[in-house]
Amino acid sequence: MYLIALKMLIGNKGKFFAMIFGVALTSLIITQQSSIFVGLMSRTVGFIFDTPLPDLWVMDPKVQFVDDIKPMQDTKLLQVRGVQGVEWAVPLYKGSIRARLANGTFQTCNVIGLDDSTLVGGPPTMAIGKVSDLRLADSVIVDEAAANGKLAKPGPTPQSPKTPLKVGDLLELNDNRAVVVGIARTTRTFQSQPVVYTTYSRAMRFAPRERKLLSFILAKVQPGQDFTTVARRINAQTGLAAYTGPQLKGLTIRYFMKNTGIPINFGIAVGLGFFVGVAIVGQTFYSFITDNMRYLGILKAMGAKNNVLFSMIVVQTFLVGALGSGIGMGIASLTSIISKNSELAFYMPWQIPVVTVLATTLITLLTTIFSLWKVIRLEPGIVFRG
Amino acid sequence: MKLQLPANINLPKFSTVKFYILPVASLFGIIFVIRTVIAGSVPAPVAPPVVEPARPPYASFVAGSGIIESISENIAIASPLAGVIKEVYVKAGDPIEAGQALFSLDDRDVKAELEVREAQVERAQAQVQDAETQLSLYQGVNDPRAIMKGEMLKRESILAIARASVAEAESQANATKTTLERMTVRSPINGRVLQSKARVGEFAPAQVMTNPLMVVGTVSPLAVRVDVDENDAWRVERGKPAQGILRGNTEIQFPMTFVRFEPYVIPKRSLTGESTERVDTRVLQVIYSFDKNDLPIFVGQLVDVYIESSK
Repeated sequence: MYLIALKMLIGNKGKFFAMIFGVALTSLIITQQSSIFVGLMSRTVGFIFDTPLPDLWVMDPKVQFVDDIKPMQDTKLLQVRGVQGVEWAVPLYKGSIRARLANGTFQTCNVIGLDDSTLVGGPPTMAIGKVSDLRLADSVIVDEAAANGKLAKPGPTPQSPKTPLKVGDLLELNDNRAVVVGIARTTRTFQSQPVVYTTYSRAMRFAPRERKLLSFILAKVQPGQDFTTVARRINAQTGLAAYTGPQLKGLTIRYFMKNTGIPINFGIAVGLGFFVGVAIVGQTFYSFITDNMRYLGILKAMGAKNNVLFSMIVVQTFLVGALGSGIGMGIASLTSIISKNSELAFYMPWQIPVVTVLATTLITLLTTIFSLWKVIRLEPGIVFRG
Repeated sequence: MKLQLPANINLPKFSTVKFYILPVASLFGIIFVIRTVIAGSVPAPVAPPVVEPARPPYASFVAGSGIIESISENIAIASPLAGVIKEVYVKAGDPIEAGQALFSLDDRDVKAELEVREAQVERAQAQVQDAETQLSLYQGVNDPRAIMKGEMLKRESILAIARASVAEAESQANATKTTLERMTVRSPINGRVLQSKARVGEFAPAQVMTNPLMVVGTVSPLAVRVDVDENDAWRVERGKPAQGILRGNTEIQFPMTFVRFEPYVIPKRSLTGESTERVDTRVLQVIYSFDKNDLPIFVGQLVDVYIESSK
């Protein structure tokens, strides 16, 4: 019986491929668009992702997201250190400083100033050199993508290829000399600015003059202490806001969701993908059922009950759904594997395939319900009329 | 129930080989999906701190940052007179005793003046002798009628004046000697030379200098000047112990004993190394002392300080 259903389905090559194409297209659009959306959103928190060591991030309570720097007084660090339950606290500078390249163009860099003695908050992986090289005079560590791209040394003519930045090369940060002592691998950030790591005191020197320069205080909570309790204590004693890494990520992502058009744009794309799927698959399946009315009529005339015919249709639609969504999601994943080293923001957590499968299931269900009506009303006598 | 279509009804033909392409493609697709999901779920490696950050040794404490100084406080040696440095007797790091010569200024002019002054003393003494001789000649005359009374008095006053000029010349010579003495700068305390910027041939002005010629101080025991933010100042209690942790190596820790509060709360300078340093807040300074022993600690180094507090 199911074999007949399969033969019916696959035998009608044109419709079969059209339906699979429809489902595949829908799942490709849903998977790809939502993965790019999640990828873009996760880039906004790339810096927090790269700095998993501290338990708490302490900052001005008015900070809206991780790139929204509201500097504090240096003595706030001492106050945070004095809060009960804080194991250690170190300063972190984060700010934008202009670098001048050899050909005279300016490039805004994201400068991270690490605590001088401990270098807490350093890059997670080093491609060349070590973090402790930041102890050298005027030293900075540059991220790999920038060293090969935005900060690479331009050739003698605009057409000639750029030379990647190497260890030992000089940079000009806000009219200060800086020596590259290492290349780091960092997660790309939303603005895709080059990331330059240096020490806190050197960042003070590079940074434009401001009265307050302390961007964040990174704190570790004593073992056995509850993060939220200590965070609340920091807030009560110093008036500063303390967030855990995931909380700060949430804060940042919520800011981008609320204040940028990104979620609406991607939401529309995903929604359109879904409706295109419903339209293609629904219509094709409907005409497929119409084509096969003959066979269904014969079966009905032979005494097959409605529910037998239903289960045949369900097998047909779900086969189409399974094949199509597998192919669609596969193509989406394949593009991410191919474009791994490009600027494409693609991040697929396990929830996305699950949601895609649910969406294709919904499409097939809608299609099934759509077709069932026709089968119920089918009179066995139709066979003999044609 | 087994259903079978009548033999005369033929379903369209399909090739089995072609049919398998789609499930295989779908299977590969699912494998790619799983691969991408797994590859994306790897968390960033945790970069360990290069040096372990300082951890507080007390349950409840006030944190501060301290600078190591000598217990006598660092004495910026001044020159009492302006002049060119002639000789420097000590180097940075030398142990010194109170009264030991540190450096001396060019004293040739003062020495020449002293010679003049001493010659003046001699001349005055010669004049006294002359006056004495004159007076004794007059006094040797036995007949009082031979000498006028006034003449006699005049000789006596000449002698008195001559004696006074000796005293004057001597005190002038002594004043010059004192000046000469002041041209050698001596240590006010027993201790150690912490810094020496005095070099032979340089000019030493007799005024307050931002870069003093020489800094001396007592190095054993050492003191730590701890800055505590004004908002935390009420939590610092007199006499509570504190722990100092050296920057750069948190294993170098030393207990410290309370010495005193600096009673005046001062504006903190954020040490940015710039010539115009920014004032951000006010800090209470607390002085603690500790024994240096074999610790590799130098005056002027920064330390993280935790002061025990019950509040």
